[in-house]
Order: sequence, then structure tokens, then C-alpha cells
Amino acid sequence: MATYLVRRIGQSLLAVFLTLTTVFLLLRLAPGDPAAAYAAPSATAADLARIRAQFGLDEPLIAQYGIFLRDLCTGNLGTSYSFHASAFDVVMDRLPYTITLAVSAIAVTTVVAVPLGVWMARRADTKRELGANVLTIAGQSMPDFWTGVMLLTVFSVLLPVLPASGFTSWNGLVLPTVTVAVLQLALISRLVRREMTTALAAPYTTVARSRGVSERALTWQYGLRNSAVPLVTALGTRFAALLNGVVVVEVVFGWPGVGSLVVRALETRDYPLIQATVLVTATLAILVQLLVDLAYPLFDPRVRLGKAA
Amino acid sequence: MTSPEGSASMTPLLDVRDLQIELVTAHGVVRAVDGVSFTVGRGETVTLIGESGSGKSTTAMGVLGLLPEGLAVLSGSVRIGGRDVVADPGAARAVRGRTVSLIPQDPMTALSPVHTVGRQLGDAIRLRHPGLSRAQARDKGIDLLGQVRITRPETRWKAYPHQFSGGMLQRILIAIALAGDPELLVADEPTSALDATVQASVLDLLMELQERTGIGMLMITHDLGVARLVSDRIHVMKDGRFVESGPAERIVDKPAEPYTRALLAAVPRLGAWDEDETAVPGAAT
Repeated sequence: MATYLVRRIGQSLLAVFLTLTTVFLLLRLAPGDPAAAYAAPSATAADLARIRAQFGLDEPLIAQYGIFLRDLCTGNLGTSYSFHASAFDVVMDRLPYTITLAVSAIAVTTVVAVPLGVWMARRADTKRELGANVLTIAGQSMPDFWTGVMLLTVFSVLLPVLPASGFTSWNGLVLPTVTVAVLQLALISRLVRREMTTALAAPYTTVARSRGVSERALTWQYGLRNSAVPLVTALGTRFAALLNGVVVVEVVFGWPGVGSLVVRALETRDYPLIQATVLVTATLAILVQLLVDLAYPLFDPRVRLGKAA
Repeated sequence: MTSPEGSASMTPLLDVRDLQIELVTAHGVVRAVDGVSFTVGRGETVTLIGESGSGKSTTAMGVLGLLPEGLAVLSGSVRIGGRDVVADPGAARAVRGRTVSLIPQDPMTALSPVHTVGRQLGDAIRLRHPGLSRAQARDKGIDLLGQVRITRPETRWKAYPHQFSGGMLQRILIAIALAGDPELLVADEPTSALDATVQASVLDLLMELQERTGIGMLMITHDLGVARLVSDRIHVMKDGRFVESGPAERIVDKPAEPYTRALLAAVPRLGAWDEDETAVPGAAT
């Protein structure tokens, strides 16, 4: 177990490092000049050269990378060009909003999609199940900016019950959460439906029924418990993805999270800010995956960590 | 008929009359069980024997009201303790785990893999005795595990099914089947998935339990050795019908039907290779 943990953490650190290196190189290989984005439109070539020197962008690529790594080791991710503040601090200011939205969206998804999937499994291949399928897949197929704008139109403009933008009160969380959750419902409910159908047709379900276990207990204790591993995997993967920021939804709702921050950082070619965002979100995503993996034995006693792989 | 308790001596535990079960497939309707009638009384073991596809397991699942999708009872009655479980699905639910229990075919897949055996046995006990606390159910369950000769039942209470061998799991399943103090056990090929040596110990256990509790047993098997060992009466089944019925000794010693003789001849025997014995009338080759 300890060996497994050490190996997994080592793998995680390596993954973060490789991600950062790739982003570092791609940013500098991609067209676009941070100095030009930063300077006033009237800036002369000499001004641009001075700005480049100020940001350390006049050094050769390999030297820039060396400096980046040296600073990284001391926990210094550089100063954001546009915020004139520590890039790491700028990201950390935004992170709570992204985590709030991700937690709320995953919670709503779970609370709606799991009972829905169970209901679909109990009514497999009926017209009502087909109807539920069509609805959730329609939700998944709608582009999130469209869903977001429609929700805004209905609940902020036509019936002004919820705020349109920003996070001024907890009401502001409702529309972004619903927009994100609608995208996940089909995936999770169909997964639960499939796993539950398998579990309810398994011999242990028939044998349990033969000893008088109620249909309710068969569904919620036997069926759902036996479906837990794929469900937790899928929810963990979706949650990790949401932590990277839901760019479109954050922009539509003016949500002050990491997603809208990264858009701004990319527009201004704010290299340190982009790198800091990538470091923080990649670390979080990998951490979530690690926690999900560590949780497997809780859901399936046959899983022995460190034995496989 | 009004009181199953009072008329126990007259009413058999299980009374199956003219049971017909159909299988609906893409190619049409197949009569899986075609009008079988039999009874099982207290302390009695009645065996349905036949090759795979003869309808014996379907009959057993029909008795329990647990036919898989596609199979349905067409006509006939199944009375368990006097209640017709075919006519009334509520009665079927009421008798399962109380009057009748199942010992399944493959012990390796018959328990939920993510729940401890103690949890599943404890739940089975508490279904029948809702007044018991978890701790009381545990005491009763550990006692039951001892009865089916699971050693160190206290430590194994918390173990998961994958930590047991097939023979041990089948004994645990017998304990679970006994948890509801049933009057009738339906044993659907209870030893087919087990090694020969383990088979004998499981059969021994079943017979010992029957002697002690007077439980009635409906045994399903394709193995004449098993049938000969445990049965009072044997029904030989082929293509959904009984081809021959009678006391176990009579069926084994003086089989009247060619099909029964074929089944008898199919039992492997220790000893010299005798080519003449393999020539079996009616056996498809």
C-alpha cells in the first residue's frame, strides 16, 4: 500500500512536470507576442524590445526554460504580465469559484442522474425509459453556450428570478450549475442504467430474491453497491474535468473562476499566468484521480491496490 | 386448506399440478415444461433428474416464481404450504425465504461480491426475525455457520465471498437458505459446480440437516449418483415431461423406460473398460 502510494505520487509529479514543460514549449512556439499584447498600440520596436527584456523573453528558449525550472523549485511561478501580481496568487484567488461550481455541478448531477439511472434500469425498454433517454441526450447534445443563454433568457430576463452574471449571492450559482449538470446527466444516468441492469440480472440478485429480499433492497443495496466502482470512476473523471474550469459556461455567466481567467490569460499571452493555471488545475485533476483510485477498495473488496498494474 | 398448519399432515409441502411453462424466443414459442405434477412432503427428498434442457431447472424456478425473462407459466398450479404461488405473485413473495429457500447452482456467483457473507447472512436472518438486532442476528448467524461446518465462523463473518472456496460458499449459501427456517429447500444442481470430493461433503451436510430438521427437499440434478444417494422419489424428465416416476430404489434398480436406462448407463464407473456398456439404446451419438 505504501509502495503503491509512493509510486502513484511519483507518477503524478512526473505527469504534472511533463504537462508544464509541454505547455511552456507550446506557448513559445505558437505565434503571438506577449510584448505586443502588453504594450500600447503606438509602441515602437524599441519599446517592444524593452518589454521583452523586462519579461526575460529575449533569452534563448533553453535559458528561459532553465529560469522557469529554477523559479518553480523555489515555488515562484512568476509575475502575471497583465495583473502585475504573483501569477500563483491570481489563480488561487479564482480557484474557490471554480471548485464551488464543480462541486455544485457534480452534486446536482449525482442527485439527479443516479436515481434517474436506477429508475431507467427498473423500467428498462419501456416507452417512459426511452423518453428519459431522449431528454437527457438532448441535454447533452445542446451546446453549453446555447443552454446557458436559454436559461439566462428564461430565468434572468423573462422571469427575473435569478442573477444573470457573476457571483454576488448563492443564487448566482444556480444557472451555471444547471448548465453544467445538464451536460453530464445523459452520461451518468445511462452508465447507472447499464450497470444496474447488469447487477439486477446477476445470479446473486435472483438468489437474494429467492430468500425474500425486497425489491427496494435489491435495487438500492445490492444493485447500486455493485454498480459503485464504474459510477465513482465516471463521477471522479467528470469532476476532475470540471476543476480545469468550464470555460464557456464561466464566460457566458461572467463566473469569476479559472476558466474565464485562462481565456483572458491566453488573449494577453500572459505566459506566467497560463503556466500557473495549468500547474494548479493539472495538480488538482491528478489529485482527484488519485483519490478516486485510492477509494476503489472501499467500493469493491476484490480490488487490491498495488497488486495490479 | 383453510389453515396450512392444521392440515399439515394431509397437505404436502409442495404440490405441483399440471405445470406448463413456455419459453418465448425469436423463433417462436417452446414448451419448456409440459404438464408435470408432483408433490414433496415433510422430510422427503424428491429429485427431478434429466439432461440439460429437459426443463428440470425451469420447473424449480417456476416453483419459486423466479423464472427469468422470456419464460412464463402457462397453466397449472404450484401450492407451497397450501398457497398457490402461480395464481398469486404476492404469495410467492411471501413464501420465499420463509416457507421455501433456494440453494443455487453456482455458489461462486450467488452472493453479492461487495457485501460480506456476514452482512448477507445477517440480513437473511433479520428478514425472517425483524425483531433481532444486528448483534443478535450475528450470534444466530455464527451458530448457523457452525452448523454447516464453517470453521472459525467468528473471523469469517467479516470476509467477502471471493475469499472462500466454492465448497465453503455452497455451505454458506445453505446456511443462508436455512436462515429463514424454511420448510422446503429447492436445491438446483447444488453440487454441479463443485469438485467431486467437495460434492460428497455438501450432500452429506444436506442429508444431515434434513434428518435433524425434517425439511422437505426438491433436488434438481443431472447426476444419477446424487439422485440415488439423496432421493426418496425420482422423476425422470425429458423434453419438459416426466418419462418415469417412482421410488428411488425402483428407478435405479428396475428402470422401466429406455431413457432412464440410458441415464443409468451414462454414470461413469470405476473399473475395467467395458466397451459393451457404452452401447446405449436411444443415446444420440
